[in-house]
Amino acid sequence: MSSMIRSAKKTFTLILYLGFTSVFLTGCWDRAEVNDLALILATGIDKGKKNNIELSAQIYIPQPAQGGQQSGMSSGSGAGQSFVRSAEGETIADAMARLQEELTREIFWGQNEVLIIGEKLAKEGIRDQIDFWMRHSEPRIRADLFVSKGRSKTVLKAMPELEKDASKQLRKIVKTHIGVKVTVKDLAQMLSGESDAAVLPWVENLDPSMMDKKNAIPIINGTAIFKDGKMVGRLDDKETRGILWPRNEIKSGVITISFNNEKGYISLNLLRSHNELIPSIKNGNWRMHIKTNADLEVIQNSTKLNLFDPKVVKRAEQKIVQEIEDRERLAFSIIQKELNADIVGFADVFERKYPQIWKQKKDKWNEIFPQVAISFDTNVKIKRTGLATGKRKRGVEQ
Amino acid sequence: MKFMGNGKKKFDFPRKQLNESLDTLPEVPLNPDLNKNIDILKSAYKDCSDVVIREFLIAGSVNAVLLYIDGLSNTEEVDQHVLMPLFRMKDLDYNSILESTKKVISVSDLKEISFIPDVFKQISIGNPIILIERETKGISIGLPKWEKRSIMEPDAESVIRGPREGFIETLRVNTSLLRRKIRHPLLKMKQMDIGRYTETPIIVSYIEGIADNTLVEEVTSRLKRINIDGILESGYIEEMIIDHPLSPFAQVLTTERPDVAAACLLEGRVVIMIDGTPITLIAPCTFATLLQAPEDYYNQFYISTFIRWLRYVFFFIALLAPSAYVAILTFHQEMLPTTLLLTIAESREQIPFPALVEAFIMEITFEALREAGVRLPKQVGAAVSIVGALVIGQAATAAGLVSSPMVMVVAITGVASFLMPRYVTGISIRILRFPIMILSGMLGLLGVMLGITAIVAHMCTLKSFGVPYFNSIAPLKVHNLKDVLIRTPWWAMDTRPDLFSQGTSFLRRESSNQKPGQSKGGDGS
Repeated sequence: MSSMIRSAKKTFTLILYLGFTSVFLTGCWDRAEVNDLALILATGIDKGKKNNIELSAQIYIPQPAQGGQQSGMSSGSGAGQSFVRSAEGETIADAMARLQEELTREIFWGQNEVLIIGEKLAKEGIRDQIDFWMRHSEPRIRADLFVSKGRSKTVLKAMPELEKDASKQLRKIVKTHIGVKVTVKDLAQMLSGESDAAVLPWVENLDPSMMDKKNAIPIINGTAIFKDGKMVGRLDDKETRGILWPRNEIKSGVITISFNNEKGYISLNLLRSHNELIPSIKNGNWRMHIKTNADLEVIQNSTKLNLFDPKVVKRAEQKIVQEIEDRERLAFSIIQKELNADIVGFADVFERKYPQIWKQKKDKWNEIFPQVAISFDTNVKIKRTGLATGKRKRGVEQ
Repeated sequence: MKFMGNGKKKFDFPRKQLNESLDTLPEVPLNPDLNKNIDILKSAYKDCSDVVIREFLIAGSVNAVLLYIDGLSNTEEVDQHVLMPLFRMKDLDYNSILESTKKVISVSDLKEISFIPDVFKQISIGNPIILIERETKGISIGLPKWEKRSIMEPDAESVIRGPREGFIETLRVNTSLLRRKIRHPLLKMKQMDIGRYTETPIIVSYIEGIADNTLVEEVTSRLKRINIDGILESGYIEEMIIDHPLSPFAQVLTTERPDVAAACLLEGRVVIMIDGTPITLIAPCTFATLLQAPEDYYNQFYISTFIRWLRYVFFFIALLAPSAYVAILTFHQEMLPTTLLLTIAESREQIPFPALVEAFIMEITFEALREAGVRLPKQVGAAVSIVGALVIGQAATAAGLVSSPMVMVVAITGVASFLMPRYVTGISIRILRFPIMILSGMLGLLGVMLGITAIVAHMCTLKSFGVPYFNSIAPLKVHNLKDVLIRTPWWAMDTRPDLFSQGTSFLRRESSNQKPGQSKGGDGS
């Protein structure tokens, strides 16, 4: 009896040992020194020859500080350069394999935070391309997505002044919330949502007349509108601001207003804003009520108006409401009437509130969306008017 | 073994028998014939140039001998209070010489001894012996005196706020330091001698009624079990009494500070003091106590709590920083912020070694420098630290052997291990760092987690004198956490740490309502 227990114990210990050693048998299969990695900072995909996909990668060149001395300080020039290399293939994965053939180091997608889609490819459809980014385990699904004017490679090759390279420039510029910020994950969600429309920030190189250098600098200038996975149109900067309000993505901004009977302007800084979409279906009429609350502060007043006067403030607020609603109307006129792309996500809102009706009318959404009546309810509060009032007069004295 | 009488006047010490100490020498009684006794002692102390055997006459008529070890006894006092009165004695009662001699010796501590081994014992602790003709009893005179270090602040456990005194090598001074802090008669000091040749006095100190009885018994019985030829430092004792001899973790607290020892006594722990070393042992010890510094209890409780948490955080940094760095850099590059990874890639570009090897080179260099700094005399030590700073900081990176981020990691790890308030805590971290580094180089963060799991599992099995190592966290004792997660102010620390689950009513250390306020106490103003 005891010998049986002992042999059972022995077997158990043996199994335990074997199990434990098997942990180590995997060895270091996943191991890769940083020196053996080609760190990809940004990627561009374009349409290549004969329906091929052209993959351009911005790869980091780890250059050690000069001479090895004073290694603590990174020498300003030369350090942190990158280069762009392209390869063509039938799919992105295929192109990647071709690209790998030309590199001495293993391609590493883990730090790729920028993905630029060329205009041409975007117009042809991006659904198949996004699949790679969602399916492959290495690339980040939190990478920021852009659509470039022309070929994406030209954007990647740009040398901005303030930042080291194009990838950092784009990553930082999108954080300022001037335009929309869309990651791979967001896009995949938008494409699989009910409305089947998507927005991506539109990138183009800054007009050379605006700067003193000859280098190209990529900036965000509006948005690209996608419908059914294909780019169908574009909004410029001002129109983009109009869709940021209902998308609840507006974080900062300066609004400048003027009055018909007054000379000068009042500029206000947006402090906070909140937006709500309230759908309603009555007698077959689809309606969307857009409710906006915003707080602002005055940062410049070149009129002669006294902002300590509540009546003036009221007038200014009305003017701002008008301004905001004008922008929104402008944007909606384009996306509703011209492009018929529900990029604000009305479809999801309707589905949530009227799931039964939605099920029946789902297929007819393309016809319904342009007909959705939109009404606005914008509440604006000027929270702070600043210290100065009028012209060079202390407000307190008035 | 046999004591030979007239023929061969030789006292044979037993050989080859491990369990023989002075206590178990044959109890040879003192011979009424003084010369025989002298012969025995002279043969025993053959070739012992420091033993003084002085023969003299009591009251000019009775033969006697004075024995002591030069340098252990106060000879001036012996001359003045023992020899002088004995020389000048006039009316000697020949029927009770012993009694009358005892009467004239003006020393408070006198003991009668009647066996030869007692003579050895007494003179080796510095008590001179007087043997008298025709008496079967000798007199041991309590006049020990030897050179001792003065009481100084311990270097290894210095504080900004707190007493500046530390234990020294002399046991009696150490006990007096403790007795001066705890003046209650219930502070007990049980003595025993361990070491066949060293006969080192060891004192087990505890407060009766606070310390658990079974704990005291357990400590005493474990000490009694020790049979070794010598005890030179408390480390000997420590390794012979701990519960898990193979564990890298300290299971006994050590301190040089009487205030720490006294605080531990008041918490119901047992203090073991060993003659010849200022380092005393405290048992039982839990993991939480290893991260407590004496100053935690003297400084304001907000800062104490903050620093305690700082220590907890840096404990993990000291243990895991190099391995986490290696794991992330070789397996999980996507975990780092892009800019940081680029900087690291830049600095690592010229490094010929894998990150794991790099980490090993640096860590081992650091350990070597640290050890070199400890061993060298102070004057040379400064030079070592300069060389070390150059080697580790500048030259290694300039030579392209290691990258500067790795230097950072090693430096932070070093600082973190210096943050451990007790030296013994730092030691286990230093040892365990290396296996975790190997695991992280093989398996990445998975390996680090495996290492942590193994260590935590091991620590959960540890016990120190019956107290679980993670006492008050696992098993959870909520009322104990007031000295673990935070350091509550003294007016709220109303119970002693619960070591043996005795219940809060037993553990009360202060009366309730101790929180001071404007309307409490004083003249009520």
